[in-house]
Amino acid sequence: MAVVARRNPLMTVGKYAAILFYLTFALFPLYWLLKISITPDQLIFTEGTALWPTDATLENFGKVIWQTDFLRFFWNSLIVSLASAAITTVIAAGAGYAFSRFRFRGQKLVIALMLLTQMFPLLMIIAPIYKIVAMLGLLNSLSSLVLVYTAFNIPFATFLMQSFFDGIPKDLEDAAMMDGCTRFQALRKVILPLTLPGLGATLGFIFTAAWSEVLFALMLIRSEDSMTFPVGMLTFVSKFSVDWGQMMAAGVLALIPSCLFFIFIQRYLVQGLTSGAVKG
Amino acid sequence: MTQATTAPGATRAHQRFVWAHLIEPWLYLTPALVLIGLVMLIPLVVGVSYSFQAIMLLKPGQAEWVGFDNYLALWSDKKFWISLENTLVWTFGSLFFQFTLGLGLALLLNTHFPLKRLFQAIVFLPWAVPTFLTALTWAWLFNPVIGPLPHWLAAVGILPEPFNILGDPDLAIWGPIAANIWFGVPFFAITLLAALQSIPSELYEAAEIDGASAWQSFTKITLPFLAPMIAITVMLRTIWIANFADLIFIMTGGGPANSTQILSTYIFTTAFKKLDFGYASTLAVALLFLLFVYAVVLLALRRRFVRV
Amino acid sequence: MKKLLAGAGLLAVLLGSAVSAETLKLVEVITSPERTEVLKGMVDGYKAANPGVEVEIISVPWGQAFETVATMIAGGDTPDVIEMPDTWQALYADQLMPLDDKIAAWEHGATLTQKTLDMGKLANGKVTMIPYGFYLRAMFYNKKLLAEAGVAAPPKTMDEFMAASEAVSKLDGKYGYCLRGGPGGTNGWIMMAAVMNGSNEFFTADGKSRLNEPGSVAGIQFLMDIYQKGYAPKDSVNWGFNEIVAGFYSGTCAFLDQDPDALIAIAERMPAEDFAVIPMPVGPSGKAFPTIGFAGWSVFNSTESPDAAWNLVAYLSSPESNSTWAQRVGVIPIHQGADQDPFFKTEQFKGWFEELNSPDYIPTIMPTYLEQWGYFTSTILKDSAQEALLGQKTAQELADEWAAFLTDEYAAWKAKQ
Repeated sequence: MAVVARRNPLMTVGKYAAILFYLTFALFPLYWLLKISITPDQLIFTEGTALWPTDATLENFGKVIWQTDFLRFFWNSLIVSLASAAITTVIAAGAGYAFSRFRFRGQKLVIALMLLTQMFPLLMIIAPIYKIVAMLGLLNSLSSLVLVYTAFNIPFATFLMQSFFDGIPKDLEDAAMMDGCTRFQALRKVILPLTLPGLGATLGFIFTAAWSEVLFALMLIRSEDSMTFPVGMLTFVSKFSVDWGQMMAAGVLALIPSCLFFIFIQRYLVQGLTSGAVKG
Repeated sequence: MTQATTAPGATRAHQRFVWAHLIEPWLYLTPALVLIGLVMLIPLVVGVSYSFQAIMLLKPGQAEWVGFDNYLALWSDKKFWISLENTLVWTFGSLFFQFTLGLGLALLLNTHFPLKRLFQAIVFLPWAVPTFLTALTWAWLFNPVIGPLPHWLAAVGILPEPFNILGDPDLAIWGPIAANIWFGVPFFAITLLAALQSIPSELYEAAEIDGASAWQSFTKITLPFLAPMIAITVMLRTIWIANFADLIFIMTGGGPANSTQILSTYIFTTAFKKLDFGYASTLAVALLFLLFVYAVVLLALRRRFVRV
Repeated sequence: MKKLLAGAGLLAVLLGSAVSAETLKLVEVITSPERTEVLKGMVDGYKAANPGVEVEIISVPWGQAFETVATMIAGGDTPDVIEMPDTWQALYADQLMPLDDKIAAWEHGATLTQKTLDMGKLANGKVTMIPYGFYLRAMFYNKKLLAEAGVAAPPKTMDEFMAASEAVSKLDGKYGYCLRGGPGGTNGWIMMAAVMNGSNEFFTADGKSRLNEPGSVAGIQFLMDIYQKGYAPKDSVNWGFNEIVAGFYSGTCAFLDQDPDALIAIAERMPAEDFAVIPMPVGPSGKAFPTIGFAGWSVFNSTESPDAAWNLVAYLSSPESNSTWAQRVGVIPIHQGADQDPFFKTEQFKGWFEELNSPDYIPTIMPTYLEQWGYFTSTILKDSAQEALLGQKTAQELADEWAAFLTDEYAAWKAKQ
């Protein structure tokens, strides 16, 4: 739970200074994103270093929303990200539980294989992945992205969940199983609720990983109907110009769903173990 | 599971053993394994197999097996060793700051203050920005023609005059590192915060009653509890950063004069500019090997020093 | 009865296959929202003239285009028709359908300019692409900066160019040349070498590279001088496209050499009265050698609908379509007489057409037929040039390095002919 700090004025000042620092640090480039998005094209380069454009305009946002397919791209991204987050978390919870609770032959091998998948540059194996996805008949569909994102993120999510399961004593489900539950029921009813911070962190993490992913979205999706928004943003970068205004506007708009998602899962991040569950 | 009945105990116990050790774990693992195996491992094997071939990108039909030739070439490749050195600077430079700032943020979020929810959502945002947009934005910020940072850095005295550090071979790597730090802090903040939340509060209460200082609470309670999570996140983040070419590619292109060329960008150039897919795969396998050794070492250390 | 049913079945199958649509996959790689719109319009015209053929347009962002297309093809998903940039032509040549016979039988084949056919054959001697236009390097300059620096007239010779750059650099915080020292800067180096050497030939008759001849070395030294004397910004050693145009648009550097298909983008971001386009400055021989590039349409050998694919390319390359495309995209059209269109007579295109019509400006064709040319430009030239700019190499060493590599490459290419 929360650390109880002594009411020390120095600590409080330090704390608020830290809050200010982190806020500035996180917001500054985002502020710049926003600034460019409201600058009209002619002024973007001449007023590059200014803190606020002399002639702020919302026309870039207007163009992005009304004149491009961005709303559809956002929708696609949302579907893919939510699906990937949910499916990955479920599968990873299972795998993480297995690592945490069991000692079995081949455990080390499985961990090694999971780690290996994270260590190779994906661009080098895109072609075989492309072929496999094509064989499954999923090319050019959002499902292909969900499939690939889930596969790539399972290792990390598994290790995360394993960590959280490790923090919960085995006695709890042993007790539940002695009372007549199967292990699975014990997992579902007793253990999982206690790992809500872990689930929240995993969901949040996978969502954003899927939300901002570009490589597979670019390679596996052909048609505009199924495009996700990061690829949509790439179209603002043409051979002869970067449409900074619109690109930044799209970037700003893209932050809104992420922000909302984070606010949503915070409820779960904040909940923690209380002594009652452990002892009683 | 109910207690064993009067049936031959040995058989029943054996059945339970088989179930508990050989079958049940795999039930929980199967979905993960199937997915990873199909979508990641098979292509990985294919990718590794390229390293033993002389294969040009657009002429796969003319590929031929050359055994370890590519690996021998690796040893005398100057650019490989330069890239390796840069990769170390890049990885550990980014990691150190990301981790310390992330830990600080997690500790901060573990306290109470007004509007914390909003604050939390905002400081997590850098992680949600697509990396190429992050790279473009930071390149903008560092460009004295259109961005403020060089002017501020000069005003504060860190730079003698406003210039673009991305064009200076000695300083260029710090541009992408700064962008990477900004991007990666939320990763550590989320994961470490979630771990912090799981520490039972009565431990801190007991410590306070015993008269421990904040620092002692931190080192004796917080850190040990965080250690497993720290080990995993540091290990995985290192692996990801080592492979992370986007920021460097967009901000400096590996230059000037190879001063920011990391293994990952070198692999990309070899594969898609030189079209030497075989040798590029060899470089990738070399990186894979180094990262694997690193992971093994870290996991061994974790087992030694961390009691779970 | 059976025969009747069989006959009906056969008829149904025949009718079915005649009615079912052929689908062509068209991949465009030099993409922008505007270009895609124009392309879609043209393709609609094609579809109207060819009912029964569906065309799927796939637009790939240019920044990742090469990797994306290479992956598509490696994954088994080869398009039918593709927009082929000059730099890719040699790499894909053996997978592309030779179009010589088709062009000979084509009604508009005769009006294609000779240059068009020559470029189409550049890779392997057969016409593997029909270019849709050419772009010639010219010099953009900032009128206001030159006026402020007291430069009376835009430079015509290399000496005047150096002097003008020096004058502008005297202004506080301003520089003469927007040097592209980072990715994509090859054209600048090649042009400087050629203009001071009085020739844009890459190789002598016995296959030796001309890049380390004394004249070429002087050209290379010229660029190094501009950087090392401070007439280009210090960080321009690593400037890529975004940075040079940012420098130009913001009025930080006065001279920018670019292809006029960049004109459209520049015109959108700078007021027209602030800039103008002039031919590249001439060297001691009184000549300049602006680089020329092109892109066009190709058909892949593996296409299942060769006739429909060719028809699409032919449609896109017809005088009318090509004229529309060339104007919207900003390239020189491919049919004889098309450049007489009033569109190309405007002030904006003046510098560019001066280059085309004067014997003093000889277009330089890059040796894209060399297999490792892409690697040379993207990596070898860039890295070594940066080292030279930073003072780690002399111009002679740099030129020797390039000459050695290119001579070897040329020999390898010759051996395969």
